[in-house]
Amino acid sequence: MTGALVFRNLARHPIRTGLAVLGIAIAAALLLDMVMLSGGMERSFSRMLLSRGYQIRLSPQGTLPFDSEAVIPGATPLVATLRTDPDIASVGPVVATPIHVRTAGSTLTVVAYGIDPAGQGLYELERGADLAPGDTTGLLISEPAARAAGWAIGDTVTVFGRLDPQSAEPGAERRLTVRGVVRFLYDARDQRSVAAAFSVVQQFGSLAARDPASMVMVKVRDDALVDAVAARIAAAHPTVEVNSIAMLVAQFRGRLAYFQQLSLILATISLVVAVLLVGTILSITVGERLGEFAVLRGIGIRRSRIVRMVVLEGAALTALGVVVGLGLGLVAARYLDDILTAFPGLPAAISFFVADRDSVIRAGAAVLAAGTLAAAYPAWLAARAPIALTLRAEAE
Amino acid sequence: MTGLPVAVGRDLTRTFLVNQQPVAALRGVSIRIEQGEYVAFTGPSGSGKSTLLQLLGGLDTPTSGALELLGQPLERMSDAALTELRLRRIGFIFQRFHLLPVLTAQENVELPMAEAGLERSARTKRARDLLEYVGLGARADHRATQLSGGEMQRVAVARALANDPVLVLADEPTGELDVETGNQVLDLFDRLHADGRTLVVVTHDERLSGRARRRVRLRDGRVVADEPTDQG
Repeated sequence: MTGALVFRNLARHPIRTGLAVLGIAIAAALLLDMVMLSGGMERSFSRMLLSRGYQIRLSPQGTLPFDSEAVIPGATPLVATLRTDPDIASVGPVVATPIHVRTAGSTLTVVAYGIDPAGQGLYELERGADLAPGDTTGLLISEPAARAAGWAIGDTVTVFGRLDPQSAEPGAERRLTVRGVVRFLYDARDQRSVAAAFSVVQQFGSLAARDPASMVMVKVRDDALVDAVAARIAAAHPTVEVNSIAMLVAQFRGRLAYFQQLSLILATISLVVAVLLVGTILSITVGERLGEFAVLRGIGIRRSRIVRMVVLEGAALTALGVVVGLGLGLVAARYLDDILTAFPGLPAAISFFVADRDSVIRAGAAVLAAGTLAAAYPAWLAARAPIALTLRAEAE
Repeated sequence: MTGLPVAVGRDLTRTFLVNQQPVAALRGVSIRIEQGEYVAFTGPSGSGKSTLLQLLGGLDTPTSGALELLGQPLERMSDAALTELRLRRIGFIFQRFHLLPVLTAQENVELPMAEAGLERSARTKRARDLLEYVGLGARADHRATQLSGGEMQRVAVARALANDPVLVLADEPTGELDVETGNQVLDLFDRLHADGRTLVVVTHDERLSGRARRRVRLRDGRVVADEPTDQG
């Protein structure tokens, strides 16, 4: 009977209840978005780095991967050495440099990645064929590059690099055949990129003679051995920066401290708003129904029942708001994510708001707990109302 | 009278603070209500009759004096014990009916039974029987707001009888009703008395006080007369 009473009491003032539910929904949506924001970028970053299962990155000393134009010299012997480690399943060297293609009337610059088809963690094939080991005439292209240059699978194209700054004459030129279209995992949205054999792309860079790599990706056979393998590589190659994904995520987290503080503040505000909203609505409701509660006490209804009734009203009101709010929060997060991820230079795979079951449950539970807690004071007022005095005041 | 005391008050006083000033509603009232009695408290407004009824119903506590309800001294009872007493042994009928508007007549009557822990099928049947008893069997599923004043007061009577109380108290039960509807309630009270209930009513209504067996007149917080009526 308490349940029926709770819902019918809420239905007594449908507009008031509706507005309160809407207010709680907005608070819940904000909280969910802040919970998703506080951990979303980090999870998204980690997921992106691990998307091909490579748990270690080697980069030039003192830099993070692709943080500068510095290179690791002597890449071929380094890769060969790493491949002899029995705990390492795969090694993927990457070299990146700008290259150029001529299109109708203009020169198009794209990013070229040199990869080793025997071990690459840079892209996923979308259509066509991948590069075969030893294929030095094949080219893989991203969708934006294909669109910009008008390329299709099977086309043979001329690419050139190392342009002379004064004459614009190329220092290297090569004809390559488009084998497939790929999605580069770390590219920004609409970034025009291509991939070719590691040794081919090395020739387009200004430091070709030094056998450069921009980064080396390492896949360890057993996740439990990642830290040990990273330490071993660092010890054996002191001129190279060695980071596990966990270490990179930790550095990333440091850079995200601002986002996390902001989301914590906004999340706290949303909870306070929920508490104030539920507390205010229930205080008004209880004030209006004080005579009713006095009568209930008069006919022998226990204080605990009245407390439960009011607290359940708060919980039901909040639960309705939470249900609406979580849906609203997910829609808003998607919209906000679209805006934020359009920021130039951000990898397309990065998300600011990552929806997962834990975030939804945590946000919903926090608002529900706050709303229920907010009902405690009005419930106490309802249960403590002196029966005779309240009835006397009602009669006057 | 059977002689078994249902309520015994000795030298009861009750003082309220009005605008920070103490106002005495009862000034040393002594009263004894015995099982099976039908008593009417009468007197002008402000005489203290409703205050006395609220003390007898355990809705309030005296400022001083001793009150025993159904053999238990009020001053020694905890709030929980007093609540239990009101739930199981006292039925209270309010002047303004005070039914829960969101519940049906049936649910309003079931409410005290649910609180007393009666299982659903038993309380549904008893609520139906009580509504039949007060002549509202056909209106059981109507919300309180869909009932007339007289119907609401009869539902309030059924609610007061829900847990088969020893003592039924009514505060101006006909105060909000027209003559005809009031008469229906008075007939109902006669039946309650005939069925052996102890009935105490506060009223300005001469018809009602005339139907009681004993009339207690109050003025300025004191009992000025305590006498049998023509019925007594």
